[in-house]
Parts: sequence; structure tokens; C-alpha cells
Amino acid sequence: MSPLLEMTGVRKRYGGVQALDGAALTAVRGEVHALLGPNGSGKSTLDKTLAGTVVPDSGEIRIDGAAARIGGPRDAHALGVAAVYQQLSIVGDLTVTQNVVLGLEPARRWGFLDHRAARARAAAALDRFAAAFPGGLPLDRPAGSLGPGEQQIVEVAKALARGPRILVLDEATASLHKEQVAVLFDVVRELRASGVLVVFTSHRLDEVFALCDRATVLRNGRTVGTVELAATDEAELVRLMVGDAPRRSGAPAAAARPSPSAGAAATLEVRGLTTERLRDVGFTVRAGEVLGLGGLQGQGQSELLLALFGAARVTAGEALLDGRPLPLTSPAGAARAGVALVPGDRGRQGMFAARPIQENLSLASMHRRARLRLALGAAAERRAARSMVERLGIKIGSLADPVSTLSGGNQQKVVIGKWLLDRPRVVLLDDPTKGVDVAAKEEIYAIVRGLADDGVVVILNSSDNRELTELSDRVLVLFEGAVAEELSAAAITEKRLVAGALRLTPGESP
Amino acid sequence: MNAPARREIWREIRLPGVQLSGAATVAMLVVAVVVNSALQPNFWNSYALTSNFATFVPLVAIAVGQTVVVLSGGLDLSLGAQVTLAGVVAVQIVDGRLDRIPLAVAAALGVGLACGALNGLVVALLRLQPIVATFATGFVFSGLALVVLPTPGGSVPVEVTTAYRDAVLGVPVALLAILGLALLWWVLRRHRVLRHIYAVGGDADAAYASLVPVTRTRVQAYVLGGLFAALAALAILANTGSGDPFVGNELTLASVAAVVIGGTALTGGRGGAGGSILGAVVLALVTNIVFFADVPTTYRQLVNGAVIIVALALAGIPALQKSPASRKRRPVA
Repeated sequence: MSPLLEMTGVRKRYGGVQALDGAALTAVRGEVHALLGPNGSGKSTLDKTLAGTVVPDSGEIRIDGAAARIGGPRDAHALGVAAVYQQLSIVGDLTVTQNVVLGLEPARRWGFLDHRAARARAAAALDRFAAAFPGGLPLDRPAGSLGPGEQQIVEVAKALARGPRILVLDEATASLHKEQVAVLFDVVRELRASGVLVVFTSHRLDEVFALCDRATVLRNGRTVGTVELAATDEAELVRLMVGDAPRRSGAPAAAARPSPSAGAAATLEVRGLTTERLRDVGFTVRAGEVLGLGGLQGQGQSELLLALFGAARVTAGEALLDGRPLPLTSPAGAARAGVALVPGDRGRQGMFAARPIQENLSLASMHRRARLRLALGAAAERRAARSMVERLGIKIGSLADPVSTLSGGNQQKVVIGKWLLDRPRVVLLDDPTKGVDVAAKEEIYAIVRGLADDGVVVILNSSDNRELTELSDRVLVLFEGAVAEELSAAAITEKRLVAGALRLTPGESP
Repeated sequence: MNAPARREIWREIRLPGVQLSGAATVAMLVVAVVVNSALQPNFWNSYALTSNFATFVPLVAIAVGQTVVVLSGGLDLSLGAQVTLAGVVAVQIVDGRLDRIPLAVAAALGVGLACGALNGLVVALLRLQPIVATFATGFVFSGLALVVLPTPGGSVPVEVTTAYRDAVLGVPVALLAILGLALLWWVLRRHRVLRHIYAVGGDADAAYASLVPVTRTRVQAYVLGGLFAALAALAILANTGSGDPFVGNELTLASVAAVVIGGTALTGGRGGAGGSILGAVVLALVTNIVFFADVPTTYRQLVNGAVIIVALALAGIPALQKSPASRKRRPVA
């Protein structure tokens, strides 16, 4: 069978980062082909190259044997390629119907819209997903008013409405509930049966095994290999993704580190902290300790960090750093008192994506280097930024490149480095390894451990229970804004964390 | 995670989101009508109404044009200059002769189309910031207008000015013109171009990924803006009977103010010309009020400007109230 899609030697460079370095992908009709690789391996870029939103620097794409030139999404559409992006292409102010037909609106003479045909087409496209919309198809609602999972479904329906022969699904399941995932998988299997090629990207390996026939693995922008999934196990895939480099046996540093003696001076003491989403939270963390925040996500963990950073309205309670009250009213005040926050949404809250790496790194600590609190020396700024790049092992092209050119893991290191330059006494980390690849994760773990060793108070919110067990000395499990359980030392196990998060009676899991 | 640079570019151009609710727009209109009818002795008399509507039409037309551009995520600060240029070109062509009217109308529309196309190309292709780009092209258009007609003059056939102030079955022609502009908007709203303008203004990247021809749509928005500016120019000619190379100067700011008062978001993608038409009427009534409240001539401009600022501030209040709350309610991912 001749391949439907052949991509070879695809290269793409963003600033100093070679996102794709000769990637290749060959797939046939009627298959679900997984595209795997750690973050920053170039999966998304390869997907976008196929969908036309990224134009590669070089490389060849053949569809059905014919050389294809994809210079934009419209070219891709003409070739029968439709894509569902990680970053949705939903216009929130338009209705669901308008979104589904966007760009290909059915029209009568002279470009006047045919609303009835549009509705019919949208209804037909969404009907396959009817099970995912218990309240009926929201055809006339503004797309922005739907939940993230529903928007994702609309995005898929929009791609299907174009009748593609190649469908690209880039992390299309990330914001879906389990039931919605099942519906989507059914649709994908139908498509496969009708001869469509589905290129599927997901960070959830179980989904890949459940749905896909073959997988192509990328690493550092290169194709490492293509495997039949039926004949491959998870360990093999992970080996392909991570490479043969000996994996560091994740030394449980929390255990290895001498636990802070009980008698040491309490560094951060929080009493009765209450905000719109927090109820009477109290705890004490000592210098050199990593306090984890666990539980189901969205139970107030991020809010707690924001409150300590002065970025949430505190209605009651206080926080004492070495016995002195922290100003909980503004981030600037918190930063002056020695508190640093590495926010969860780094794109929006943690960095200035379009500004140079150096500026991002030096921003929070400029006052330390300013002469007479006014003048900045270019050399000193560069030295400071350079030192952080080296200390954290940030992979960059040049300090002058915008942060947006880096991979997720390196962006996160820039955000952390920005605060470390300010020599904080309390570091608040909000899910620092979310969307970060395995290698960068390990490096960020090392940074966190290093901070604690230096006597910094570290509070770590994480959606990854393994991360909490590996890094924390103690974990507070939050539920609906209050501390549901406190686990320490040996009690921090994934099992206990899950049990605590679901508020199973403590008796059940001793 | 490599956001294309394109995204950043368009982010910077956007203005802070300001949007007024429909109820607030109507409330302003009611207040303006009440105050105006209290101050103007015979506000409801048919002659006064006709003459009021006659002065409203140009602002209504330019406000509709500005709405289209703002919805696309842009802004056109040259619309007033386009009104001037289209007006002087039309008046030079018509030269008091009735038979040349079709030619003059076509010329005015042609000027609007050309100016809009130039703006669109500069903004969408060269990717200059709309505010700066159209501010600059506005000077070019004003300068051209001075070349075409250095001093106020020229004449429009008297039949036109008479007809403009007439009434059909008791309805002033100028009011019909406003209704006609509303109808034109209603028709456009059903066209694919307007749908794409909403999409591009709402989220240009999403629109691009959804096969919307973003560049072409942006150009079309500016061209539509220019065509409405030409209609405004024709209304001014019909109202005043002669050409004036400075007539459009104050219309630009007023058009933006009308859009904001009308509830269209300056960030693009949200709102519509219905509100802008009401907004334009509110602004025109305010000018009336200032006149009938016996504000000394020297202070009129100052008062007008202050009123516009107050209107803009009113429009900003809902946004101010919303932003801290939405910051607090940020979903914890």
C-alpha cells in the first residue's frame, strides 16, 4: 500500500532553537498514527507544518504520492488536511455554528450567508458527538461560553465538517472528560474504518495504546523510529522517547536530605488564612523544608500560593515570616519581603514572551544591581542573566532571543531563574513541571532540592503525585479550600495522596 | 510552545477592551433627548426635527464605517479626512449641475474605496499599527483635499439640498437616510465578509487557522470604512450645499466615540453598528445641547471634548468592574 502521507527531512528553526531537525513521518490511509515524544521534541511543530500554520524552513511533504506545498491552512485544506490544535482555533464571540463553518461558510449568491445550511452542517458535524453534550447541541450559544472540554469537541467537529482525508489531532484529549474521550475515540475509529488517516498526538500513553495502530517517535526534532504498537510496550516507547542515556535513578531526595530538626526556628507561619476560595488554612514551614500541596486540582492550591504572594484578596488570617507579618496586599510587597512566585500559567503570568531572555531573567531583581537605585549597567545585567542560564542549565541560542523561542521546560527555567536572582527566602512553585519534558523535569527537581538545601522555604503545588512524593518533606492535601490532611515523611505515598484527595476516611488507608 | 511571532504583533495593536452594555447606550440616548427637548424650544416641531436629522446623517454614516473597522480589530483615524477628500472631489465634479450627480456620487465612493484600500494595505500587509498608520494617511488625504479645493466653495444643485430637507409622507428624508444606513448594515451583517471581520477581530490567529483569509478581510474592513466615509461626505454636501476642505476634521474622534458609546468593544470582534448609530445620535444631541445651553462659542469645543471623555469613561466603567473580579475568578487549571 502506497503511503498517503510522507514527510521527510522537515526542518524548522525558531530563533536559536532547532524545533525540527530532519523529522520524518510516513503513514497510510485508514490508520491512526501516533506522534510521540517528550515536550520540545517537535511534535506540535510537525503537526503544524502539516496543517499549514507553520511553514518549514526545508523538507518535503508528499500526499498520495504527489509533492505538496503547504504555505498556509488554506493550502492544507485544499489537500484534504484538517487539524485540531492544542491552542484552539475557536473564536469565543461567535456561536458554535458560526465556529464550525468558519472560513467555509455556506453562502448563496454574492457571498450572502445561508444560515439554514450552516446550522444543518454544524448539527451534522456535532451530532456524532451528541453523547458529549447531555444538554443538547449548543448550536446557537457563543463558543466562549462552553466549558473547555465542549470547546475541544467543537474544534474536532469543525475539522470533521471539512471532510478531511488526513486529520491531525494535537493533544485533542487534554481537556476532555473520560466520557468525552470515549465519544471522540469512537468517532476516530469510524474515520479509520472509512479510510481517513488520523495523526494523533497525546501525552497519555494509555490513550495511545488504546487507539493507535502505529507510532512515530520524535526526539530533539528528529524521528527516532516508527513502531507497531501491538508489538511494543510502554517501557520500549519511553526508551525511544528518552533515549538510551542511563536514567538517573530518581533518588528520593526528600528522604536523603537530613530532615530539618524539629527545634529549628519556624520560618513561615500561616494562620487562619481565608480568601474567597480558602477556608482557615494554617501551617508552619521551616527553612530548608519543601511543603507540598496536594489534592485534586482546583481545590485552592494555586489560590493559597497567590494569597501568600499578595495576589489574592485575603479576608482573614495572616502569614508570619520569621515572626514578622508578611504584607499580603501586593506582589511587590511580597517580593520585597523575600517571597517569590513561579506561577502556573507561565505564558500569561510568568514571563514576557516577546521580550529577550536576558530582560526576563533580570527583571525581578534589577533593584539589586541598580546603581543609586537608578542606573543599570549593561554588563552587570548580562552577567547576572548569564550566571542564571549556566546555573539552571537553560538551553538558549542567545540572551537576546525572545523567551517565546524556547521550549516549555526552558521557559519555565527562565521564570524560576528570574526569581532566584532576587535571592528569595520563600519560593512558591505552582505546578512548575506542567507541560515540561522528562529531562527538564529532572533538572527542575534538582533546582527545587537545591533551593531547600540553601535554606529556602519551598511551597510546591503539583498536580503530579509522583512529583510530590519525590520532592516533599510534608504534604498538605487540600479539599474545597481547606486542609483535609497533612502527610509527612514516610506517609507521603501516591496511594495516601489519592486517598486524601478523594477524602477517603483516613482509617481505610493506614 | 513556540507561539508564532505573528501572535505577538497583533496583540500589541489591540486597545484595552471597552464595551458598553446596550441598556447604557439607550439610557444615554433617553437622557440626551430629554435634556435637549427641555433646552431647545421647539425640539419636537417638524422643522427642528428635520434639521436635526439632517445634521445627524454624516456622523451616523462615519460611525457605521468606524464600527466595521473596529470590529475587525483595527481603528481608522483617517476616516474624517476621507470624508473631506470624498466631499471636495464630489463637489468639484458636480459643479452645480444636476446631470453630473451620478458621476459625483461614483467619484466620492471611488475616493472612499481607494483610501480604504490604501489604509487596509498599509495595516494588513505592511503590518503597521493601525493608529499610527491611519493617523499618517489621514494627513495625506487632508493634504490632497486642500489641493483639490483650497478654500471652501463649489456648489451642489439646489434640488439636492431641497430634497434632503424634504419629507416623504411626513418622514424627513434625513431620517430615511439614517434608516437606510441601518438597513445597509443589516444587509452587510448577512454577508460573509462581515462574518470574517467579526472572526478576525475576535481572534485573528484562530481565524487564520480556520481558513479565514485574514489579510484580505482586514483590507475589506478598511474599504468598507472608506465607503461609509464617502456616504458621510455626500450627506454633508446635501446638507450644506457646498464643499469645505476642513469639514471632516472633527468627525474622526466623534466616530470613535460613537462606536464606544454604542457598545462595540475596541478590542474588536464584539458589538455592532446598531449601537454606533444610537451613539452617533447621542453625540449629535450633545452638540445640540451645548449649543442651546448658551455655552459661549469659545468654550464649545472644550465642552464637546469633555462630554466625549465622560461618555468614554462611562463606557469604561463596566470593564473596570469586570476586570478585578475576573482576575479573582481565574480558573485554577
